[in-house]
Amino acid sequence: MLTIALSKGRLADQTLDLMEKAGYDVTAAREKSRKLILEDQAAGLRFILAKPSDVPTYVEYGAADIGVVGKDTLLEEGRQLYEVLDLGLGRCRMCVAGPASLKDKLDEIPNKRVGTKYPNITRNYFEGVKKESVEIIKLNGSVELAPLTGLAEVIVDIVESGRTLYENGLDVLETVADISARLVVNRVSMKMKADEIKPMISKLREALEEGES
Amino acid sequence: MANKFYTPDGFTDQLPGVCAFKRELEARLRNLFLMNGYDEIETPGIEYFDVYRSFVAEEELYKFTDGKGRLLCTRYDGTIPVARYAAGRNDTLPMRLSYIENMYRAGQIGGGKQSGFTQAGIELLGASGSKSDAEVLALAIKSALELGLTDLQVSVGQVQFFKGLSRQLGLSGETIAKVKAAISNRDSVTIEKLDLSREDKDTLLMITESGGTYDTIDQMLPRVTDEGAKAALGNIKEILDIMERYGYLKYVSVDLGLIESIDYYTGMVFKGYTYEVGFPVFGGGRYDDVSKTFGKDMAAVGFSISLTLAITALMRQDKFTPAAGATVIVGGDFERAIATAEALRAEGTAAVLDTTGMTEEELDAYAKARGIETIMYMNGGEA
Repeated sequence: MLTIALSKGRLADQTLDLMEKAGYDVTAAREKSRKLILEDQAAGLRFILAKPSDVPTYVEYGAADIGVVGKDTLLEEGRQLYEVLDLGLGRCRMCVAGPASLKDKLDEIPNKRVGTKYPNITRNYFEGVKKESVEIIKLNGSVELAPLTGLAEVIVDIVESGRTLYENGLDVLETVADISARLVVNRVSMKMKADEIKPMISKLREALEEGES
Repeated sequence: MANKFYTPDGFTDQLPGVCAFKRELEARLRNLFLMNGYDEIETPGIEYFDVYRSFVAEEELYKFTDGKGRLLCTRYDGTIPVARYAAGRNDTLPMRLSYIENMYRAGQIGGGKQSGFTQAGIELLGASGSKSDAEVLALAIKSALELGLTDLQVSVGQVQFFKGLSRQLGLSGETIAKVKAAISNRDSVTIEKLDLSREDKDTLLMITESGGTYDTIDQMLPRVTDEGAKAALGNIKEILDIMERYGYLKYVSVDLGLIESIDYYTGMVFKGYTYEVGFPVFGGGRYDDVSKTFGKDMAAVGFSISLTLAITALMRQDKFTPAAGATVIVGGDFERAIATAEALRAEGTAAVLDTTGMTEEELDAYAKARGIETIMYMNGGEA
C-alpha cells in the first residue's frame, strides 16, 4: 500500500489525470466528498489531501510515501526528501518584483526591505546568491501591496502571467527560480517500498514523455 | 510564563512501561557491544563548543556558557566526544569503544522530530581497511536484529566513489555541488540537463538508481577509470564478501548515491531502514579525518542506532511488549506483609508492599487499577 500526499486544489486534479494516463486506477481519489483520506485497497493506493505547504512534512516523516508539490514549497520548507520527477505542472517563476522604475537598479538600494510569503527562499537568495543582507517582512497574501504602500521596496513572489504586477505598475526585476510541481519520495520508503515506487516513477515518466511528444 | 507544567519542545518523558522496555533494549545492546570487545564509556553530556565547531552547524547546538564565559554545548552525537577522548589519550590501538547516551539537537524543523533522543553506538579507532569497515557494519545489523527490527534494509555507499568520479568527469566546484544535490535528491531531471556526454550522464543516472549488490559494482566498474573511485568499489566489494560470511548479505544493497550524509565521512557510509518510521534507524561510516581536528591522525569507523526511533518502529510493527512491573501486591497485617514481600523479593518476584493500610476490598481495587496480577492479603494474629 502506497500513501500519496496530494496538494489540495487544481494540482491534485492534474496529478490524478497524470496518474490515470500512467495506468493507475484513481477513481477512489476522484470521489467528491469531505473525506481527507481516500483509499483503494484493490489498487493498493491511499490518497491524502493536504495543504500544499504541509505535503513535504507528511512525506519527510513518512506519514506519506510519495507527495506531489510545487518546487516553491520544497524550496521554502527545505525538507530531506528525494525529488525524483519534474511533473511540469503549474509552471511559473519565483521572482523579485518591484516598481518598474527599479529595473536594473535593484543593486543600488541599500538595506532593502523585502515583502514575501517565502522568507526562507528570500533569505537564501539574497544572502546565498546575491551576498547581501536584507530585512524580510513576512506577509500572508496580496504581497504586491507591500511596495505600493511603502511597507517594502521589493517583493519575492510567484509570477505566472505577471498581470497583477503590471496592472499595479510593478515588474519582474530578477528571477530567483523556475517553479513546477515535483514528485517527492520519502527516503525510507524509497528503500522499503522500492517494488511499488520505482515502477510508479517510470510509469509517470513515460506518461510525461508521451505528453511532450 | 506558565511553562512549569510542560516539557520543552522536542523533549518527552519516558513513561514507565516504555522506559522499562527501553532499558531492556539498552541492556541487550550493552551486552552485544561487550561480547564484541567494545568497552563502554560515558562522556559528560556537555562539551566545549569548540569540540563541535568544525562538525555541526551552530543552529543545531544548545549553547550556554560556563562560569568563565566560555561557550559550552550539549552532546549532539556520540562520535565527536569519543573522537575527542580517544585523540587525547595514548592507548594502544586499535581502540574499541561504545556508548548509550541521550543526544540533544536544537533547530529540528517542525514538530514531531525529537530534539532529545537516545542513541547507542560504537567506534573502532585506529583501524583502517575493509575488514574493520565490515565489523562495524555487521555490528550495526546485529544491533538492529537484537532489538527485533527484522524487516531491515541497509544501504552501503562509499564517499570516495563520487569524489573519484567527479575527477574522472572533470566536474568543477559549482557543478560538483549541483550534481551532488541532484544525486542526493535522486533528481534525474537535473542530471539530464547537465552539459556532459550521454555516457557520463548515464553513469550519473546509474548512481541514482543503484540498489543491487555485486551486480551494481560489476555494472559500474567498466565505466570507472579514476583509481580512487575504483578503490572505493573494491572496498564495497570486500565489505559485501564479509557480509556474506555473517549471513547478512540479504539485508544489504549498494547505494552509490548515499552522499547526502554528514561531510566528515571519508570512506564507507551506510544507513539502515525499517518499516513505519520515515527516517533511517541507524547510520555510520568511516571518518578518518575527524581526529585530526583533535591533533591526532587516527583512522576510525563507527555507527549509531537510535533507540528512540527503534522503539517507535517496534511499536508500529506490533513488536512492542511493555515490560511488566511488579506482579504481586502484599497487604493486610503489616508485620506479616513485610515478611512475605521480602521473601518474595528474595526469590526474584517483584512485589509491592502496601504502606497505606488498605482493606482487602481497597487492595483489590488498587491492584486492578495498577494491573497487578496477584493479591496477597495477610490476616493478623496467629497463623
